[in-house]
Amino acid sequence: MSGLLLAAAEQPKVHLTSQTRILAALIAVAFMLMILELIRRDRLQERFSVVWFVAGLGMLAGAIFPGLLGTVADLMGVRDTNVALFSIILLLLLGLALNFSVIMSRQAAQITRLAQERALEVARKGEAQTSLDKDAGSRNSSAISTTEDAE
Amino acid sequence: MTAWENRRIRTLVFIPAWNEAESVASVIRDVRERLPEADVLVVDDGSTDETAARAREAGARVASLPFNQGLGAALQTGYLYALREGYDFCAHLDADGQHPPAEVARLLEEVRADRADLVLGSRYHEDRVTPAGAEEIGGEDYRPTISRRIGTSVFRFFLTLATRQRFTDTTSGMRAANRRVMQLFSESYSPDFAEIESLQLAVREGLRVEEVPVRMLERVGGSSFLTPLRSSFFIFKGLVVLLVGQFRPRHAARTKPAPLPKAGAGR
Repeated sequence: MSGLLLAAAEQPKVHLTSQTRILAALIAVAFMLMILELIRRDRLQERFSVVWFVAGLGMLAGAIFPGLLGTVADLMGVRDTNVALFSIILLLLLGLALNFSVIMSRQAAQITRLAQERALEVARKGEAQTSLDKDAGSRNSSAISTTEDAE
Repeated sequence: MTAWENRRIRTLVFIPAWNEAESVASVIRDVRERLPEADVLVVDDGSTDETAARAREAGARVASLPFNQGLGAALQTGYLYALREGYDFCAHLDADGQHPPAEVARLLEEVRADRADLVLGSRYHEDRVTPAGAEEIGGEDYRPTISRRIGTSVFRFFLTLATRQRFTDTTSGMRAANRRVMQLFSESYSPDFAEIESLQLAVREGLRVEEVPVRMLERVGGSSFLTPLRSSFFIFKGLVVLLVGQFRPRHAARTKPAPLPKAGAGR
């Protein structure tokens, strides 16, 4: 029993086969290429791409240096590297989602104000039009009255 | 006569409307009859029916939002218009015919007399007296549903707690305001929870908010959007909004009375 526990403890923290490492590295590279392509096609703004690029680099680093994750887990005081990995990813995604909510709120407020400005602008133009019509109408009537006076 | 007296006091009555083509024209006619000195603006909140056309036919000005933005944004549009166009006082009422314009006139009297910055018409005020002239308002009296009543009392309790001021009808959409309020509301107005958060905001910014008992009627067209499930969510959301609102920074500087724009500047 104790022998088994010892054997488990002596096993390396991260055990990835070379195939999985190559696959992970390829996915990371493909991911970064996709980001570049999105920027190139103006589908993604540079300022939003930075965080995704960093994520891609992180994936690549994890694939090339499998010991890295173990070190991070040790630093966090977590025995299971999987738990360390998932909690890091979860926290990052949570932060990212919050960041997007903040951006969305700001843009919603901007859109509302834009809609209001436009509504007011159009309303003002409409009024200018009706008052012009009114002016024209009163001028006509005054012209009529002067001709009547002349007679 | 002093110069101040010479200047005509200008009043705007605005009506937020979203697909209210059935009732908007009669509301406008009623407002024009009861408040002949006021300009009438309909804020069309992205209606897909004939609301804007009917309003124009009835002689109102119309500000059309290009897409539906919610009651808060529509009301803010009205306050923004009043501020920019240099109105001294403004009032708003619902487009569904629940709010008798005669009562709006009484709210406006309060702000004109400078007894308050913001005046609300309350359906549930305790010392409700039949106001002079109210008997002649035709139509069936407003009767709240059970879920409405529960929601109202919950909000009443928490808003009173938050503002340390007694409110009975927190969701009243019949209000009158002066330029201080226009200034504040045109800058910050919650798009989701317009009625309640705006009261909290106004009190926090040191404005005088007052309730006046009014008579409200049963709606003419359409139906209330509140189902029990929706009301519970509405209440929950309202409580969160109130709680968060307590921690907002104050901008006391904003509540200085906004100067009137120079003549013609608004055009």
